[in-house]
Amino acid sequence: MLKKIFVSVGRYFLFLKMVFRRPEKWKIFWRQFVNEADKLILSSILLVGVISLFIGGVLVIQTASNLENPIIDKMYIGYMVRESLILEFCSTMVALILAGKMGSNISSEIGSMRITEQIDAMDMMGINSAGFLVLPKVTAAAILSPLLMLLSLALGLVGGWIVVESTQIIPTASYITGIKAFYNGFYIFYSCFKMSLFCFMIASIAAFNGYYAKGGSLGVGRSSTQAIVTTSILILMADLIVTQLMLY
Amino acid sequence: MIKVEHLNKSFDGVQVLKDICVEYEPGKCNMIIGASGSGKTVLLKNLIGLLEPDSGEICYGDRKLSQMDYEEKKKLRQKIGILFQGSALFDFATVIENVMFPMEFLTDWSETQRRERARYCLEKVNVIGSDDKYPNELSGGMQKRVGIARAIALNPEYLFCDEPNSGLDPYTSILIDRLISDLTKEFNMTTIVNTHDMNSILEIGDKIGFIYQGSLLWQGDKNTILQTECKELKDFVCANALARNIIGK
Repeated sequence: MLKKIFVSVGRYFLFLKMVFRRPEKWKIFWRQFVNEADKLILSSILLVGVISLFIGGVLVIQTASNLENPIIDKMYIGYMVRESLILEFCSTMVALILAGKMGSNISSEIGSMRITEQIDAMDMMGINSAGFLVLPKVTAAAILSPLLMLLSLALGLVGGWIVVESTQIIPTASYITGIKAFYNGFYIFYSCFKMSLFCFMIASIAAFNGYYAKGGSLGVGRSSTQAIVTTSILILMADLIVTQLMLY
Repeated sequence: MIKVEHLNKSFDGVQVLKDICVEYEPGKCNMIIGASGSGKTVLLKNLIGLLEPDSGEICYGDRKLSQMDYEEKKKLRQKIGILFQGSALFDFATVIENVMFPMEFLTDWSETQRRERARYCLEKVNVIGSDDKYPNELSGGMQKRVGIARAIALNPEYLFCDEPNSGLDPYTSILIDRLISDLTKEFNMTTIVNTHDMNSILEIGDKIGFIYQGSLLWQGDKNTILQTECKELKDFVCANALARNIIGK
């Protein structure tokens, strides 16, 4: 078991070495980068947006129900919602959701190319298949995913505002004051960095699993499941490490 | 010219290829034949570098494959065209884009030049008017033809075909076989075809090597295969009713 883990880790880093070889032609790389940005990031906007809206609303209700003490100013509800969204939800939770969507997409696409010998065909043409197929995905996911985090934050706050407006659970002015209070720009950077790191992990681990898929369509399904499970666990572990390193 | 010297390959302690020695000449359809599981595909994958032999050498011209570095192997691969068993056309690209794909990476040709060359290759294999179709819109035979067009797009010195007519009807199979044979002679390529189809063997087998349980038991051509005294080859050949009748007569 331990040996298997070490072998997999070694193979993963060798795979990354292949992925990060200089692209054969930059023109082709940028074209693929734009395609992948559309496929991985733009297509996730709706999912991330809907989830963020609802979570923002739920966070307001939950925080308000736990802060009924009249001594505590109601603006702290807005403040806590904002901090929860920035510090954890918009990066870690959204990344876990994307691990399912993006991870299965990448793993099954590359896995099916592997079992139908399309990757072998590329290699035999003298083309770096890992570089062509994976580098644009990994870079698009890592570079553009902070935009998803920012979108998630904005929509989460809007979701909270909609709940506050429609239920008057707290005064709207208190909510607005709360979400503007004690602003720390470093938290945004921290969250963007986490999102970028997590999406790099999602794209590269899913691609790694797909690239070495074997055993027909069942193997593709297996590699896809394995990619999601592995990525989810590693995201949580990385979250702990990054938080310890950057916030404490 | 490709030369194989004392090639051995095993998986998990099971020896799949045993001391294979053979030479493949240019301008000829060199065939690797044998029953399923005999080691044909493993030999082909060793030849193209997708697998590494346990021992022995594969020489392309005067260069040993094992002594080539990454860049040299990359250059060699640009001289190789391969037709995979399942055609291996890229799902994300149309017919013409599939044929243009290697040119886009490996040449500095303009879009117009690439398109012209791709059209020429598609005409050679008789695929006309399907430029903008995707592979899943084509029949098996058409996919093979497009696979051949892509394989010859860069004028390769070596052409490898892994079971080119598996899953095809006998008529289409013969057409594909003749196409491979004609292109081999026209471009003076060293062609290696991996098959167990007796029709193909008798149609285009300029040089034939019979593999039995990982060993190269017999070498000859389409004219001598039916007169063979090799028992294992005779059994293999006689599994085909037509060949059985010819040998019987």
